[in-house]
Amino acid sequence: MSVVAFERKQNTGEWSERELSTIFTTLGAAIAPGTGREWETGMTEKGDAQFYLLGALPDQACELCVSRIGGRYILEDGSGRLLFEHRNLDLVMLHAKAAVPSTSWLMVRAITLWCAIRNTMHEKVEPLLGEGEELLAQFVPQLAAFA
Amino acid sequence: MKRGKHQDVFTERPAVKAAPDARQLRKLAGDWLKQRRADAELSQADLAARLGLKYYTFISQVENGFSRVPIEIMGAWASELGLEPAAFARHLLMYYEPELHRLLFGAERK
Repeated sequence: MSVVAFERKQNTGEWSERELSTIFTTLGAAIAPGTGREWETGMTEKGDAQFYLLGALPDQACELCVSRIGGRYILEDGSGRLLFEHRNLDLVMLHAKAAVPSTSWLMVRAITLWCAIRNTMHEKVEPLLGEGEELLAQFVPQLAAFA
Repeated sequence: MKRGKHQDVFTERPAVKAAPDARQLRKLAGDWLKQRRADAELSQADLAARLGLKYYTFISQVENGFSRVPIEIMGAWASELGLEPAAFARHLLMYYEPELHRLLFGAERK
């Protein structure tokens, strides 16, 4: 009789290499150098593994926390809101990736900056150009008369 | 044994000297919370259940110093530990917002 060796799922204790690899693969962009983010691992008092995604300095508060309890993965934010839970870490990490304020946050900042520049142009520069045109319209006939 | 209200658990000061960073202070707050929970003879799971949390992972998150006790459950957290909520909040403010604590309450005697 042949026995198929299924991989045993880890229920307690530290993160396995495979689990950490899944986490880093998914959150790679969020913890890349330049984002200011850091990460830490920890344990609950019962020995359940936790992964904390920390925000930038100076506060470095937890933005997301992934925990493993009895083979189930729990995704929470830094305020303890339960965002997702499942036995499949890949699925949980997809939700984690979506919950990280990264690209969309930068996009919002860029759009806000662009709107501010446009508004300044509209309020400050355009009236100056308008005044210039008026002056030109007044002086051109007089200059033409002198010529 | 569960610690009664108004007992002298708030006299402990953060054991820090000069301008510690927010992360260090949160860790000190977490250690203090862990000790108070132990005094109340509650496990992380017990406290989470009493606070209406589905999992105890957030209690661990706070006690490990990575998050703060949210203001909306600070009163309940204090009560479950058998502590007076105002004094509990004031003590946590010392770790979470030390400058605000100093402005509001001045430098407390050690």
